[in-house]
Amino acid sequence: MELVLFRHNRPGRMTSFDEYRADGGFNALTRALGELSPNDVQQAVIDSGLRGRGGAGFPTGRKWSFVPRDLPGPRYLICNSDEMEPGTYKDRVLLEHNPWLLIEGMTLACYALGVNHAFIFIRRGYEQAAVNLRQGIAEARRAGLLGENILKSGFSLELDVHQSAGRYICGEETALINALEGIRANPRAKPPFPAIKGLWGQPTVVNNVETLSNVPAIIANGPAWWQGLAATPEAAGTKLFCISGHVANPECFELPLGTTLGEIIDGPCGGMRPGSRFKACIPGGASTPFFTHEHWDVAMDFDPVAKAGSRLGTGGIIVFDQSTCMVAVTLNLIRFFARESCGWCTPCREGLPFVRHILEKIENGSGEAGDIDILREHVHKLNYAFCALAPGAMGPLEGLLRLFEDEVREHIAKGACPFTTPNLCQN
Amino acid sequence: MIPESLRQELQRRVAGAVTPREAAVDVMKELQRHYGWLSDEAAEEAAGLLGLSPLQVEELATFYEMIYRRPVGRNVIHACDSISCWAMGGETLLRHLEQQLGIEAGGTTRDGAFTLLPCPCLGNCGNGPTIMIGDRLFGPVSPEQAGILIHELQRHGAD
Amino acid sequence: MPIYNPKFMPKLIIDDITVEVPEGTTVLEAAQSVDIPIPHFCWHPALGKAGACRVCAVKMLDGPVRGIQMSCMLPAQDGMVVSTTDPEAMAMRKGVIEWLMINHPHDCPVCDEGGECQLQDFTIAGGHGIRRYDGKKRTHTNQYLGEFIAHEMNRCIQCYRCVRFYQGYAGGTDFGVMGRASMVYFGRQQEGPLDSPFSGNLVDICPTGVFTDKTARFRARYWDYDLAASVCPHCSLGCNITPAARYRELLKVIARRNDAVNGWFICDRGRFANAAVNAPERPRQALVDGKPVTVNEALDVLVLRVGEFLELHGPASLAIVGSPRMSLEGNIMAARLCKLLDAGALSYVGDAVQAERTMGAVSLLASGNAASLADVRQADLIVVAGCDLLEEAPMMALAARQAHRNGARVFVVGDECALDGARQELYESQAVTSLSDIPLTEAKRPVVICGTHPKRPDTAPLMAPLFGKKGLQTPVKFAFILDGPNAFGCALLGREHDAVPLSQAFAGGAIKGLISFEADLPAELTAGITVLAATDWQPTGLMQRAEVVLPCTAWVEQDGTFINNEGRAQRFKQVMRPGLPIKGLDPAGHPPRIHRNDAPGGDVAPSDRVIAMLIQRITGDTPVDGPLSGRWEGLRSLDADGEGKRLTDAA
Ligand SMILES: Cc1cc2nc3c(=O)[nH]c(=O)nc-3n(C[C@H](O)[C@H](O)[C@H](O)COP(=O)(O)O)c2cc1C
Ligand code: SF4
Ligand code: FES
Repeated sequence: MELVLFRHNRPGRMTSFDEYRADGGFNALTRALGELSPNDVQQAVIDSGLRGRGGAGFPTGRKWSFVPRDLPGPRYLICNSDEMEPGTYKDRVLLEHNPWLLIEGMTLACYALGVNHAFIFIRRGYEQAAVNLRQGIAEARRAGLLGENILKSGFSLELDVHQSAGRYICGEETALINALEGIRANPRAKPPFPAIKGLWGQPTVVNNVETLSNVPAIIANGPAWWQGLAATPEAAGTKLFCISGHVANPECFELPLGTTLGEIIDGPCGGMRPGSRFKACIPGGASTPFFTHEHWDVAMDFDPVAKAGSRLGTGGIIVFDQSTCMVAVTLNLIRFFARESCGWCTPCREGLPFVRHILEKIENGSGEAGDIDILREHVHKLNYAFCALAPGAMGPLEGLLRLFEDEVREHIAKGACPFTTPNLCQN
Repeated sequence: MIPESLRQELQRRVAGAVTPREAAVDVMKELQRHYGWLSDEAAEEAAGLLGLSPLQVEELATFYEMIYRRPVGRNVIHACDSISCWAMGGETLLRHLEQQLGIEAGGTTRDGAFTLLPCPCLGNCGNGPTIMIGDRLFGPVSPEQAGILIHELQRHGAD
Repeated sequence: MPIYNPKFMPKLIIDDITVEVPEGTTVLEAAQSVDIPIPHFCWHPALGKAGACRVCAVKMLDGPVRGIQMSCMLPAQDGMVVSTTDPEAMAMRKGVIEWLMINHPHDCPVCDEGGECQLQDFTIAGGHGIRRYDGKKRTHTNQYLGEFIAHEMNRCIQCYRCVRFYQGYAGGTDFGVMGRASMVYFGRQQEGPLDSPFSGNLVDICPTGVFTDKTARFRARYWDYDLAASVCPHCSLGCNITPAARYRELLKVIARRNDAVNGWFICDRGRFANAAVNAPERPRQALVDGKPVTVNEALDVLVLRVGEFLELHGPASLAIVGSPRMSLEGNIMAARLCKLLDAGALSYVGDAVQAERTMGAVSLLASGNAASLADVRQADLIVVAGCDLLEEAPMMALAARQAHRNGARVFVVGDECALDGARQELYESQAVTSLSDIPLTEAKRPVVICGTHPKRPDTAPLMAPLFGKKGLQTPVKFAFILDGPNAFGCALLGREHDAVPLSQAFAGGAIKGLISFEADLPAELTAGITVLAATDWQPTGLMQRAEVVLPCTAWVEQDGTFINNEGRAQRFKQVMRPGLPIKGLDPAGHPPRIHRNDAPGGDVAPSDRVIAMLIQRITGDTPVDGPLSGRWEGLRSLDADGEGKRLTDAA
């Protein structure tokens, strides 16, 4: 199959500038600056059907089209490279191998948006990715592909790398904007949306690493070509799926969008690890409701996954085998979300610890029948939190109560966790 | 007190930012690198460099996971406790690290060599369980491998 | 501060009531406007929306948005149908209260906020009674925040009001929010007194008992307080306050809302500088030549001595002295006394320069372009000249900050720019040397703020060209910082009765004696003058020298009127009965052996009554007209709970 994002990868190291160029890298930028208007670039992205890879799947070209081009003052583009959702590591793998796609993609996006100053907001711990990006930016600048008057087109772009100090909420786009400004990273109220009033009050687009890295291929080969890479007619492009958990080969793969869950696990993942049978998975990062065997044939694309009761999210698939206690899984996830809450709104700040407490009781064997009602109430009420973190946290809990209620009841009835085998280190 | 060269470098960083606050995380991290943690003195210095009050620095410092407002050991071991690593035996690994270092998670060894901190997903989920020592990621880490890593660090510390 | 557009009025239905509100109004405020209360913690009219607490949930049944929504975040729109009583909305609000109560200590019996706690009210209103959470509660360590404010973090419900006020509204940088997730902490980086001169508002603005007023701690419950609408006497702005007292002791002062004046807040001087009212040793006893007498005896002696004095020296040698810190009523009566005795001088102010500048300010404002504090908050261009706002009128500085936060440009004129201490902390201002450097023509709501302090350069002549200036989009409004809560009233009276500054009255050497009412005069000024009598509730130098000492009530012990710096007459009501606070009484005297109706030390009257009694004695028992008669008649019906009455507008 045709790769886009991993096409230029070299095993175990970063692709060099020369290698990337030799592979046709920066041709899209050269072509766009020479032949295409900013509007042409935006239109190509709209036509490609590219949807955001950061979790929400919002059509990228449409997002760009919301940016008013006539307001005074600068506009900004921010690449969201916060990637702290458990089970998600695709952006790291991509940047460790190839920062060029992002640099070229951002330059194209900035050209389309009329942006002259863009930022890459990168999480803590992604040191190699940051090093690669800084090095890449310096080289691109030397080659005249960044900075003042790029390729003598009159278009200029400054690209800055901002390294964060670690908090999941910084990935939420308005919290990210605050973090970048050096304010506490609480999310902002929407409206106004960042496209109108974002970084330093100016129109701002926030896009994921993978999203932006797709832009060069769309411009180079045309939107129709790119769209056709998907596995289904409805889907568009390829997707990085990063797999973890109890499969034989847990890696990050670039696959056609719309490949089914079963094809992913049985294909590149090499099936389950020895001794393991598939019980359930999280299909799209920690904030998505579980899939079970009944979802084996769901096409891993935004709409089909949503129709099946979950979300494609980040494409981080976490696979669990028969020995896994789903209450414990959910508890682990809720602990993460409760700890990573920014502390701004009540449902998240107080509701998540309440849920955590109830799940701890159930897992420890002191749960009561009424606890399930309390959990259900929270699934409903946490939707009314200030940002999407708390509703996201309720994804797995909703899945637990829908798909594994019996297992929860068994905990309560037995007064103990029915899964006695601890999860041992498996290497 | 930070060396004059570092001060000048940070002043340049602040001056180059769109607003001084934009450089806040960078400044805190650099000072932390210098002192090992963001000491009270470092927080004051950060405030001075950024044109903020110490409280305003504290508001930011206490938001982020990786800014330490308490002393930590020379090596900070972050052990991922998120879902993928948990599924691959992260809890067992953490218990093992505790035993090996003779401290509880969150603690620092008496000789100041190690601090052990459970942490959220390190973005290395395919290679769980994962630990991060300083800026370096390791995974998958078996208890035996963890033992070897710690031994090596202890030896280096003794050099 | 939200800006509403009254031109377009969306119409919506809330609980079956049709409501029409200006565009920009939130659903929460729209409901409030028809007396439908919606619980709220983080939303505050002066701080705006935050969307943090999520307790203001309502259900949108129809219209542009549907389902559960936070009413504080939602602008009212045409066609909305809102229910506050829908079961789902009520369940949501109850759920929020339950969450907030998870970690709240339930220490109401020992909490000073008990009875005046929004969390209590909304817990009841929300119907949350049974706690389902059975885990541990989170706890925090408290901080010492100075002498005035107690800190009890365990009670915190994280509404973020304190930090939004302290840093956002008031520009403080030493208090804020630290931590995250369920461990957010509101405090200082290190223990210590709060720096902001507006810190006391934390007490009012916190919906529960995290910040309580230390000066009143553990003294009374809300329902025990003596409360009344009052006005702050500490500067010329006339901020509205509600003093709370019990057992003849002023316990604390709470800010009282007046949208035209102080808005919702007051400064710390107004809140915490009132200990003098309770001082047991403050003048409470009438004295003649240092010997205790009854008030009647003192008045009798005074009538005799005044008669002797007039006979000996003639009326031209007597001065009657009123004061800008005395009520309008007292000052009116002082003028009447002066007329009655045909005294040589009526005086309200000691310093001639101060008097002249105040008079100048008052005549300028008489033509109706006075800026209220609300005007300052809404200004888009502010010029500050010749004053240190934080020092002389703190709430004016805070008002200027609000304008600045909304984009107003602030200019400081003259060589004395450095004076304006508020500049760096509260707003950024640009120093200019001359008026022509200020882009006045660009401004839609320009305000000029001038000082009148005699030690500062005179800025009025500099500003005079702006007055009635042509070619501007809107005429410039003026605010003057005067000296005392009733300086404006004294200037009006002074003009009416040809009062002279005392320094000028003394200059000719004719004045030999004076009778003073609540006057603060420098000792040098009155050296060699006989103080026939002095009336005050504060132990001033004049009170120590006076032959006849007549104590009077403090402002919280009487009704009265102050006219603030913009010419706004405001009524203040009696909060408490005068007399020694029970706390100050000698325990040996308990139980009281002598039974009487008056409280010990309570035989005191307001100054205007003291003067009326004196006049009555001199004229021979004909009843004396109340002070608010004649040209002041219109102020009699002044409502203490209203916005006051601007005398400059009438002109
Ligand atoms: C709590 C939270 C965390 C998020 N973290 C990330 C992240 O780490 N990376 C990311 O690209 N998007 C993240 N998002 C989504 C962003 O808000 C935003 O939708 C995204 O960056 C838009 O990019 P896209 O349109 O390219 O997907 C997060 C959202 C929430 C609510
Ligand atoms: S849901 Fe609320 S507390 Fe949680 S992260 Fe979002 S804003 Fe913060
Ligand atoms: S879950 Fe451990 S690195 Fe992602």
